[in-house]
Amino acid sequence: MKKSHIALVLLIAVAIGAIMVTISDASTYVGFKQANETPGTKYTVIGFLDKDAPMDYDARAQEFSFTAIDKEGLKKTVIYNQPKPQDFERSEEITMKGYATDTAFIAEEILLKCPSKYNEQNEIEGYETY
Amino acid sequence: MEYIGEHLLPGNLGRLFVCVSFAAAVSAALAYYLFIKKGDAAYKKLARALFTTHAISVLGIVVTLLFLLTSHYYEYDYVWKHSSNDLPLRYILSAFWEGQEGSFILWMFWHAVLGCVLLLTAKRWEAPAMIVFALVQAFLSSMILGIFPFALKIGSSPFVLMRETAENVNLPWTEIADYLQKFPNFMDGTGLNPLLQNYWMTIHPPVLFLGFASTLVPFAFALSALFVKDFKGWLKPALPWTFFSIMILGVGILMGGAWAYEALSFGGFWAWDPVENSSLVPWIIIVAAGHLMLVSKNRGTAIGTTFFLSLSSFLLVLYSTFLTRSGVLGDTSVHAFVGLGLSGQLLIYLLFFVLIAYGVFIFRFKKLPKSKGDDDLSSREFWMFIGGLILLISAFQITFSTSIPVINQLIGPEGVIALMDTEMAPPLDAISHYNSFQIPFTIIICLLVAIGQFLQYRATGTKSFLKRIGLSFIVSLALSTLIAFYFYFYKEPLYFLLLFTGTFAVISNLHFWLRIGKGKLTFAGSSVAHIGFALLIVGALISQARQSIISESEVFLGNDFPQKENALLDLADTVRLGNYQVIFNGMRQEGGKQFYDVDYYRKKQDGSLDFDFQLRPFLQMSDQMGPTPNPDTRHYWNQDIYTHVTYSSYLNPTTTDGYANEMEAEILRGDTVLYQQHFIIADSLEVHAIQHEENGEIHTLKLTTKLRIVNVLGEEAIASPSYILEGDEVSYEEVELEKQGFKFRFSDINLENNKLKITAWTQVDPDEKPFIIMKAIVFPYINVLWIGCILMAIGTMIAVWQRIKSSKD
Repeated sequence: MKKSHIALVLLIAVAIGAIMVTISDASTYVGFKQANETPGTKYTVIGFLDKDAPMDYDARAQEFSFTAIDKEGLKKTVIYNQPKPQDFERSEEITMKGYATDTAFIAEEILLKCPSKYNEQNEIEGYETY
Repeated sequence: MEYIGEHLLPGNLGRLFVCVSFAAAVSAALAYYLFIKKGDAAYKKLARALFTTHAISVLGIVVTLLFLLTSHYYEYDYVWKHSSNDLPLRYILSAFWEGQEGSFILWMFWHAVLGCVLLLTAKRWEAPAMIVFALVQAFLSSMILGIFPFALKIGSSPFVLMRETAENVNLPWTEIADYLQKFPNFMDGTGLNPLLQNYWMTIHPPVLFLGFASTLVPFAFALSALFVKDFKGWLKPALPWTFFSIMILGVGILMGGAWAYEALSFGGFWAWDPVENSSLVPWIIIVAAGHLMLVSKNRGTAIGTTFFLSLSSFLLVLYSTFLTRSGVLGDTSVHAFVGLGLSGQLLIYLLFFVLIAYGVFIFRFKKLPKSKGDDDLSSREFWMFIGGLILLISAFQITFSTSIPVINQLIGPEGVIALMDTEMAPPLDAISHYNSFQIPFTIIICLLVAIGQFLQYRATGTKSFLKRIGLSFIVSLALSTLIAFYFYFYKEPLYFLLLFTGTFAVISNLHFWLRIGKGKLTFAGSSVAHIGFALLIVGALISQARQSIISESEVFLGNDFPQKENALLDLADTVRLGNYQVIFNGMRQEGGKQFYDVDYYRKKQDGSLDFDFQLRPFLQMSDQMGPTPNPDTRHYWNQDIYTHVTYSSYLNPTTTDGYANEMEAEILRGDTVLYQQHFIIADSLEVHAIQHEENGEIHTLKLTTKLRIVNVLGEEAIASPSYILEGDEVSYEEVELEKQGFKFRFSDINLENNKLKITAWTQVDPDEKPFIIMKAIVFPYINVLWIGCILMAIGTMIAVWQRIKSSKD
């Protein structure tokens, strides 16, 4: 067997290892229900802002709380100990990485999906007056 | 109907250019094919003329679109979406490639330029290589055709008018002849994303796209070589192109990093974002391809791997295009393009070349020359081959993790073949996930970079090798130990290994160049490029692993509880951040920007403050995007201080009577909402209508809601704000609660769900100062990284020049 073949075998072994690790590192998208079942375990939850519920940002305490509704329709208060993300109100979808506690979901990282400005031309103001 | 004031000529011309460029590309491929089949020089002439026509049309497209943008013809959708009247001329180019269509054109433009160079220089490789070029160009032109045959969408045209877009067709305003004059919306465009209004965004995309485009040359050579069964002859002409690609693509990616570091707010130059990853992977593969091409050319071994890598780099560029433009990345990346509904077309583009390239590769695989003997363990070619494999596996790991959304689409619960019950989400901590693989790979690569030049082809004598490398080894071990002690790396073995191998690579390549290359420029290429790469790694290690967030609060909040990384600075108060005393000295409004003056002081021994420097991070205020933060960084030779305003009290408007923290809630009777640690319960709604005495019509309607405000101790207070409708006039009776400092307004009734709209404010202490919340990070020795980048680019440039010279000999 040639040395390069041995190297190739090793390469494939590492590749399989990489796949396994990636699968085990990968989190899963869950709803608040599953996050609630195992408080403290980190999950990625996708939801959207409950616009009827109040949103509170105490800038001095750097505590931002709001209510999110996950894809199954479950509501939960979310606490984010970071400054309120810009343009939060306009977000269509919120990806929250964090864990659940008894009272709230503690988000460590929040990604927003905002309606892109490209779609907003539907809302050209002028034509309504016509 | 005749529309008034539209400029249709340039748009029609643009569409004509697109059609011609498509047709000319297809027929150029055909003509070159006939030339190969029939050998008639007339076909070659024709093919050249056709490709030149194609290139001129592409130039025509570019000029037309630039003309539309600079003329502010807002009847064109692309112009309206990506530019505005107040956009400075220097950002017109950024507007040009902000959208998908524009960036396709940019990519096509570079292919056309490179194609023309190849056409003149490739000699016997011209015909087969140009077929590949012409086919790629045909696919790209089709992306901007914007035609709809048989209810299919083929391409998205940048020359489409606003009134012709799918969103707007049949809307009432499209029936008005003078819509351009009538509606103020058409007087101005929506403008360029403020994040892109940065000089880096003017230069980064063209360089990056030239890098992407340049990977097509080795691809075209390799594919041609497989077609014509000349498995070695292509290496010499393709080598300078491959190294050119390594340089340009590398510079393009690093410019993206520099842009992120200077103008984005995530605090760093690399975040393993899917979009960044998908441009890094083709670079890693082209680097591997370039090195193995050297092995194949010099020793005639590893030819199969060389072909595989040379083909894969461009295919990975296509895959990257598919990832970032089809919308498949969706939730996982902050800066993917918005899908244009071209995902099917992009997939066909990708699969067409993947199937052809790998198909031909597999078909020809048996015929590829194989080396008879085994490589010697001490030979340069063996370790270069190993290095190539490490780069391949590194690229594979990044690609696999980045492709999680694609895997979901294929085998997720709603995928093509549902194998998985739940969708996979990208790793929670992306940076540590990627680092756990890429750091060990980089350690091996650095080690190979360090010893590679001292190894000889065929076999290296152990004694002379050890003698030559020994000095570098000892010097770098001593040096890296010193650095490790200075930065406390001795506690982290992986970091220490990376530091050592990186230093080793720098020192040994320097040693090689000075002693064996005698410091000659002709030998400098590889040494300088390798030194640059190793410095980049060492700089990245030190500046990232030893960055300190000096704004981090020292208050411990509890295990697992995210530390607060931001500091609060009241106006004119002094706050200690790391070694600095920092004062927020006020906000200045300049145009659409809010500049925050943040002064950094050093404390002198006698306790007095010594002014050091001022930073002016700003928030760009934009109607569409809201406030966009832009950091400011103070550069020193040995460290950078990065400052970024994450929140400012100026964003929370205060009413004239001194109230802020506005909250609007819609509630039904009996509902509870939470506001500033108080429960607010709508207990009742009282309706008071006053009828007109004569005709009995209601002329005044007064609605009053009784709000019960309960604090955490259970103490209650009552507020009864009213909403008054007198004829058409709306007025409010607001209620102020002095004790709690709240003000309530009954602002409206939502007629769809009968909910009451309540607005609440909190009184602001009149003495309360404005404040900002900011993040400050010190990046030590980040200049090592940038110097490394520059050296790598210069070294590769010298290598390209050398290869061009030697390919002519």
